[in-house]
Amino acid sequence: MDTPAVFILSEALDLADGDQELLLTLAELFLQESPKDVAAVRAALARQDCDGLTAAAHKLKGSVLPICAPRLFEHAQRLEVLGRHGEFAEAVSVCADVDRCLAEVHAALRDLIAGGYSS
Amino acid sequence: MNFESTQSPVQSFDSLAPSCLMAATILLVEDEPVTRTSMAARLTRLGHRVLEAGNGREALEVAKRERPDLIIVDWMMPEMDGPTFCETVRRDPTMKSIHILLMTSHDQPAQIAEGLARGADDFLSKAASKQEISARVLAGLRTGRLVRELETTSSQLESSMLLLQIKQMEMEADLQSAAAFVHSLLPPPGSPAPGLSLAWEYQPALTLGGDLFGVASIDADHLGLYILDASGHGVAAAIRSASLMTFLRVENILHLVGTYDPEKVLLEANRRFPLSEEGEYFTLWVGQLHLPTRSLSYASAGHHGALISRTGRPSRWLTRPSSPLGFDQAAVFANDRIALQPTDRLFLLSDGIYEAASPTGEPWGRWRFQQAVEAQQHSPLITTISHCFMEARRWQGQSNFSDDAAVVGLELSV
Repeated sequence: MDTPAVFILSEALDLADGDQELLLTLAELFLQESPKDVAAVRAALARQDCDGLTAAAHKLKGSVLPICAPRLFEHAQRLEVLGRHGEFAEAVSVCADVDRCLAEVHAALRDLIAGGYSS
Repeated sequence: MNFESTQSPVQSFDSLAPSCLMAATILLVEDEPVTRTSMAARLTRLGHRVLEAGNGREALEVAKRERPDLIIVDWMMPEMDGPTFCETVRRDPTMKSIHILLMTSHDQPAQIAEGLARGADDFLSKAASKQEISARVLAGLRTGRLVRELETTSSQLESSMLLLQIKQMEMEADLQSAAAFVHSLLPPPGSPAPGLSLAWEYQPALTLGGDLFGVASIDADHLGLYILDASGHGVAAAIRSASLMTFLRVENILHLVGTYDPEKVLLEANRRFPLSEEGEYFTLWVGQLHLPTRSLSYASAGHHGALISRTGRPSRWLTRPSSPLGFDQAAVFANDRIALQPTDRLFLLSDGIYEAASPTGEPWGRWRFQQAVEAQQHSPLITTISHCFMEARRWQGQSNFSDDAAVVGLELSV
């Protein structure tokens, strides 16, 4: 099975109805909000809080949808399921995947914001 | 967080139908800022006014204040989740008809069923295409509009029904009052003159009847009596009958005609009560009894309801062919005369009693009335009359008459 892409610009633009300005706004918002969501995930993991982990992972997953980052979406979705089932050991491992993936997405979005659509 | 999007609506709506161009107010409830910003911008681009709330509790306040046309609410939120929000809206009579789209990435049938059961009208995926968003929003707006129209119509219908019921009650009260008044004009049973007994039974087809009768002293030696029948029945017939009844009052007849001679009374009545433009008319039987000699003179204008019942002698109908009032201005209503004997009984009856039809449509008939009277010759007068009503009801198989039913009895004592 292919590894999902980090960030698919064309699909993200489609989801923004072709509105480039909107996508840049969403990218900036994601850069600002997603670290809070990941922090909430870690805090819930530390507390072994099923509901907290599920809610934080769900929120992160939702924020990933509009910017079209499939790999991060998959990890967030997996984290949400693990939280629902209280499987914290595996969740710690997936959380590390989320961290790595989030860094890649952030980098891609920063490039987009810095270089615009011509880059 | 609770703010209104300020992005300008874009005028291009691609391939959307013209009916889609109607802008609506949409409340978007989503705690996650990236999704909320994205969806708000997309809805605004479609031409709608978008209100935003970050959780269910805030959304309830906005919804109550702004009464949006449509609500799009996320499933999973802190404070109050989407399904609970839906339930709360559905319980509020001021908001219950607002169309709600539950926004979710859930697509499991069980979750969809739960959302619908808890008050959502439809679902919207967070990753929906522009076309799908447009279609679901517009379908929701259309449904919401229809529901509101239905509620308005239903409310107007309820108001109209209430008004109608009030009016009907007022009209019923008026009719009862009028019926009581007409009833008070009928002659009191008992003894209208020495040596005479009077009894009657009257059952109008509706509250107010068009068949009326009268028995009244003209002077010390004469008694006047009549029975009239207005064509049709109900309020209109009753009003016309009351008018003829007023005309037939002894004082009025003596003032206008100078005598209660039946043929002269009918002549004047024929002149004053012509056939109406609607084809309504009266039949009328008038009699004058000379008390010292027991001589009854009578005349009829198309009314066939007068019978003499006599002990030991055959009964006799006191009618002759004649036209109703108002058909012919030159008509003459000749008097007939009969000498009554002690114990004779004079019955005046409306056609409503002898035309009472059996379930197969056969009228009870004057002959059966006569038989009923003769069978009860020795019973008290009121018993005989009640027996006639009972027999007529038994014949028609129901207690109510389709036309006014009246039987008046006058008995000469020994």
